[in-house]
Amino acid sequence: MSLKQILPALLALAGGLLLAAGWWLIFMYAPTEAIMGAIQKIFYIHLPLSWWALFSFFLVFLCSVAYLVRPGEHLDRIARSCAEIGVLLTTLTLVTGMLWGRKAWGVWWTWDPRLTTALIMWFIYTAYLLLGGLNLSEQRRRMVRAVVGIVAFADVPLVFLSARLWRSIHPAVFANESGGLEPEMKLVALFSVLAMGFFWLGLVLVRCQQLKSQDRIEDLLSTEQNREEQTEQL
Amino acid sequence: MLKLALALARKDLSLALRGAGLVQSILLGLLLVFMFSLSQKTGSLASGQMAAAIFWLSSLFCQTLVFNMLFAFEETQGARTCLLLSPAPVTDIFLGKALAGFVLIFLAQILFFPAIIVFLGQTVSQSWPMGLLMLFLADTGLACLGALLGALSQGQTARESLLSLLVFPLLAPLLLAAISVFAAVFGEQAGEDPTSWIGFSAAFDAIFLAIALMLFRFVYTGED
Repeated sequence: MSLKQILPALLALAGGLLLAAGWWLIFMYAPTEAIMGAIQKIFYIHLPLSWWALFSFFLVFLCSVAYLVRPGEHLDRIARSCAEIGVLLTTLTLVTGMLWGRKAWGVWWTWDPRLTTALIMWFIYTAYLLLGGLNLSEQRRRMVRAVVGIVAFADVPLVFLSARLWRSIHPAVFANESGGLEPEMKLVALFSVLAMGFFWLGLVLVRCQQLKSQDRIEDLLSTEQNREEQTEQL
Repeated sequence: MLKLALALARKDLSLALRGAGLVQSILLGLLLVFMFSLSQKTGSLASGQMAAAIFWLSSLFCQTLVFNMLFAFEETQGARTCLLLSPAPVTDIFLGKALAGFVLIFLAQILFFPAIIVFLGQTVSQSWPMGLLMLFLADTGLACLGALLGALSQGQTARESLLSLLVFPLLAPLLLAAISVFAAVFGEQAGEDPTSWIGFSAAFDAIFLAIALMLFRFVYTGED
């Protein structure tokens, strides 16, 4: 087995172990928040999820631009895997955020710029994933995906800006949430981000390899079919 | 340089106005206005904010139908390759489609607006010139994204619904701006100066017009 093959598994394993260590740190090392209590600990999961989700979408954008400049199957595969994992992480971000919001603000949802952006991003990239089902030639489907990958990312800052303008009309449900973090809290948060990063990279690589195998199998099947048709004609 | 764009827009407009295409989108929009008025209690009036939201949702549905129709013209006749072979830049096709779409959406809105006033009991306040400017900016944005992504949906139902799935969230910021300004037009107390929304919409249009001009040639190709 080459390193390339076992690297994703190693990364996922390292990520898993680090995340487990992170859990220990979250509950044993990080101090309990004075006002919110234990519920604040969701933050250590929520933050890495949302950061890596955004980073995934940024990678989708980069790969899409690169694909249009110089088309290559691998770029499309990376973009696709990143989009899938980005949607997964955004879903988890929204869920953990809602759980926290219910406890901290008393509501499941508020139209805060960050929440709105996350939700709209989730919608856009879920639609992006549906592009795979289009009845197009493989090459054109990749092209379409790259175009949508660029348009989608260009929309993200605009959504954020518009939601901020919108909110300034309505009174804020909560004041600025980013109160200063204790140094221990900051350390644990950064550690969680790092641990999630390993896990994220492992997931992306596994997904890339899966998609590669899938493409290969489909290629083989279609060549086989062509050959059968040709022999039938003979 | 814009000769093809204008010719294409003229062709599309005459086709759209002759057939039942535009009538269908207008009817859907009017139907939406009626359906949304069901959410009101009998006797109570819709708020300006709600009326504005319904107006723009109707326009949005109209936009997807319009662009599905505009791109279906070439598909049903198998004329896409001919269009691409003509000695004019592909961006002209984009501009032509966007222009035709803009005009069609605007025509539909001319009917939606009085319908909102009548059915939802609205009055127009003094800030209507701002509303007119917003209408122009928002329609530009609708036309830009519609013409860029409409090329994806070429006649098939599955693709048509996919277009709305993609376009609706992408247009969300622009719609937020349009709804806020139109709420003020319908007499709602605006907390924020509407000019900031106008500026935002202009920026939105500029960004997506530039992106669409760059990317359209990748979407609209001779391949199937």
